[in-house]
Formats: sequence, structure tokens, C-alpha cells
Amino acid sequence: MLVDWLPQGLKDALGPDIVFWLGYFTNGKHLGWYASVQYTLEAMVLGAAVALVLGLVAAAIRNSGPLPLRWLAAGYINVVRGVPDVLFFLFFPIAFEQGLEWILSTQVCTPATLALNTGQWPPCDAANISFTKDQYLILAGVSLGIVYGAFVANVIAGALRAVPAGQLEAARAYGMSRMQVLVRIHIRQMWVYALPGLSNVWMSIIKATSLLSLLQIMDFVTWAQRLGASNFSKAAGLVHDDWRWRYYLVLLIFYIVVTYISEKVFNVLGARVKRGMALAEQNLT
Amino acid sequence: MNKLVLVAAAFAALTFGAQAAAVKIGTEGAYPPYNFVDDNGKVGGYDIEVGNEICKRAQLECTWVVNEWDTIIPNLLAGNYDGIMADMSITDERKQTINFTDPYFPPDPSTYVSLATKKVDYTALKGLKIGAQTATIQSSYLAANLKADNTILTYDTQDQELADLNAGNIDLVFLDGSVVNEVVSGSSGKLKADGPGILIGDGVGVGMRKGDTDLTAKFNAALASMKADGTLDALIAKDFPDEKGGPFYKK
Repeated sequence: MLVDWLPQGLKDALGPDIVFWLGYFTNGKHLGWYASVQYTLEAMVLGAAVALVLGLVAAAIRNSGPLPLRWLAAGYINVVRGVPDVLFFLFFPIAFEQGLEWILSTQVCTPATLALNTGQWPPCDAANISFTKDQYLILAGVSLGIVYGAFVANVIAGALRAVPAGQLEAARAYGMSRMQVLVRIHIRQMWVYALPGLSNVWMSIIKATSLLSLLQIMDFVTWAQRLGASNFSKAAGLVHDDWRWRYYLVLLIFYIVVTYISEKVFNVLGARVKRGMALAEQNLT
Repeated sequence: MNKLVLVAAAFAALTFGAQAAAVKIGTEGAYPPYNFVDDNGKVGGYDIEVGNEICKRAQLECTWVVNEWDTIIPNLLAGNYDGIMADMSITDERKQTINFTDPYFPPDPSTYVSLATKKVDYTALKGLKIGAQTATIQSSYLAANLKADNTILTYDTQDQELADLNAGNIDLVFLDGSVVNEVVSGSSGKLKADGPGILIGDGVGVGMRKGDTDLTAKFNAALASMKADGTLDALIAKDFPDEKGGPFYKK
């Protein structure tokens, strides 16, 4: 235990109660809880990165892609936006895993092994895939990215349309190619209009990371549940009653702190993308 | 000299590592005294002590995986681990999907727990809210026998049903008899064990995939030797000091 390393003088000054609680909050189980924040942060960052890329691509295609692709992008944006994130979170990793197993089973299963295993999934033992915790975490991040990519796409599609047409016309008049107009003028100016919407999506992604425990990841919501659960057994550690709301409160505070910091970061970003832009006439300052 | 020792040690470790096959065992980690995650973040309890001794005797390298109770059988079948040691009673229903080793805990009557002030007529249970953990022998028993006249509630973990009992939201909780003693003594007088004991299940076994007959045989052999030399009875006496009727296995 960490408190054992404290000098005796400091322990005396703090008193036995404080030393006891210091020890309790730094025991192995609590350290495991603190460390599990990494899964939440990883899922957040990965989810946001996937959502941003998917959203950009889908928005660009929907606004100006070839027709069948445009339908595909519009379908993705409309369908996925209408699906509850919890449901998609449950659906996608299982569907992905079993889809992979189905593809694998068409390659590795023989009639003999198929007959051995009737009515069970996977069709035969050789086609069984079991993901590690890290792979599940990646799947979780990708699921988040797919769900919120649709929101990002909607935000960005709107922002692309908000860039004044005169800007694009002027760029074309200077002789820029279609791609140059898109990258240098269109997307560059789009950020001003997209950032407020993107900051909303980012907040949603942050909050959705509390769903990680649904995928059997020992994230910090699961840890909080386990730590707060009443304990009757001396062998298992400190005997206490139901403390779950206290631990949930810590989680609430964590999320408020993270969203508060993100808001500040988005304010700075917003100020930065507005530099040198003539926005006064549109009241977008 | 030192280097020689080091090389020898490394060589020994390597050959030992090659001999011991790696086996992963799934447990719930929330069902003391059978299994729990202690304050140091390590799994412990009767299931874990028995499992580690089995692995030692069968020369297997065992690691523990903590998994929620309600998905513990599906994740065994999916190959996330190779055995379940989580106070899982041997029942005909479970035997349709998985195999069991020989029992490592004897059949144990399930018991009701109520608030200490509560009076219940156990000869005719009627109009009560009764809680049990999802997918346990207790919840199947309640669903089969008491569903008509009572409200049956199921919970993901044991602590959730006990929290609801403590809060007065339900009247009774139906638990393994071997768990009840610790629950009651840990509640400092708030809860009591009550009513008749009801025998369900054929004892506690290690859950195995149907195909893994080799591993099941290894576990059974190790269990037999632990039963014969009294190790298993000693572990039961240590972890369940109130359990009457031992020794259960030593002839």
C-alpha cells in the first residue's frame, strides 16, 4: 500500500482516520479504477477521430459526389442518426465479430466439422474468433465513430453550404481547380461554421464513452459499480453498505470536468479559425 | 557462479513454461466468499483457491478472467476462457450447453434472507417480492415454483439484490446457503437467514466446454487427489467456517 511509505511524522500529523482513508483510496482496487480512465479516454479520442474522418468524407460525397455514392452517404447520415447509440453499441461489435466468423467459416469449415456442431454459433470450432480487450476497445471506438460520424457529416454538410458562394466563385475565377477550391477555400472556411456543431458532437461522444462497460470492458463505470457495491465479506476487504451513489457522483464530476475543459479548448480553436475572415456582415463573431 | 545460476534458472523457467499449458478460468469476482476482487484488486475466494490448487496439481498455468455472471456461459463457449469457477451449481439445464467436472462443493440448501424485523409465513409464500440473481438455480426455482402468487425480481449481481433488500424494496432474497452466513454476519444485525433450506442442484462444479474432455479429465484427476488427501475439506473449513456436516470428501 502506498500509505506505508509515508514518513511516520506525517502519519501522526494527519491522524489515523485520514491515513486510513488515504490508504483506502490508494489500494489496488482504487488504483485499478483510476487506471481504467485510460480506456474511456482512448475510446473518446479514437471515436472522435473516426467520426471526423467519416463525417468529412460522407459530407463531401453527399454535397458533390457521383449520384449513387451521394445516395449512400445520405442514407448513412439519415439512418445512423436515427439509431440510439446504446443499441448501435450493442449491435455493431457482435455483428462485426459474427460477420467475420461467418466469412471465416466459409473458408475453414469442412462438412465433417459442420456436422459436429449443429445449431451452434460459430458453425465450427475453427471459425471461432475471440477478441481481446484491446480489440474490443478499438471496436468500441469505431462504433462510436460510426454513430457520431453521421452527426459530424450533417454538421459539416451544413457548414459547407454556409460558405458564401461568392468566395468559391472568386476562387474559380482565379483559376483554381475543383480540388483546390474544395481544400483551400471551401473546407478551410467551413470550419468556422462547423466548430460550434462539432463541439456539440464531441460532448455527445464524451458522454457516450460511459457505455463501454456494455462491451465487457472493465472501464471506470464498471469499477465504480464494483467499488460502490456493498461488501459483507471481511476477506474481500472493507465491509461497507451500498456506496454506489458516491462513486457515481465522482463519475459525474469527472465528466463535467472533461466537458468543461473541452469547451475551453473549442473556444480557443474557434477564435483561431476565425482569424483573418470577413465575418462581420454575417453576425458570426 | 552467479551467471551460471542465472542461466540455470532461466533454463528451468523456460522448460517449466513449456511444460505448463496456459489455461484461463472465468469467475464473477462479486460473490463472496466464493469469489471476489479484494481491496488490492486481486481475485480471491474459495473458487480461486480451489482453482489454483487444481492447476498446480495438473501442472497448468492458470490465469483468472473476471466476467459478469449473466454472460459467463456464452463467453466460455466463445472461447474467452476455458473453464468457469464461480459457484456454478451443476444442473441438468446447464448440462445441455456445457460440461461439468466433478463437484468441488457439496449440494447446499438455498435459504431466504429477510430484514431482521420481518415476519414471513414460509408454508404459504404469497404476495411477496422475492429477489434472486439472474440465471442462478435460485431464480429458476422461484420462476418455476413461486411465480404465480409472488413477484419475482432478478438482479445482475448479488450485492444489488441485497441493496434492494436493505432498502426495503423487496421482502426476501433467495441465496446459496453457504453465502448466507457471511451476508448475515456482515449486516450487523440488520438481516437474518429465515425459512426452510431448499436443496437445488447437484453441487458446484467447474464449467467446461463440451469438446474439452482432456481438460475436464485433468481437472477431475486433480480434484480427486485433493479430495483424497483432505485438501478440499480443509479449504471448505477455512472459507466456510459455519458450514455443518464436514468433512465432505475425505473418506
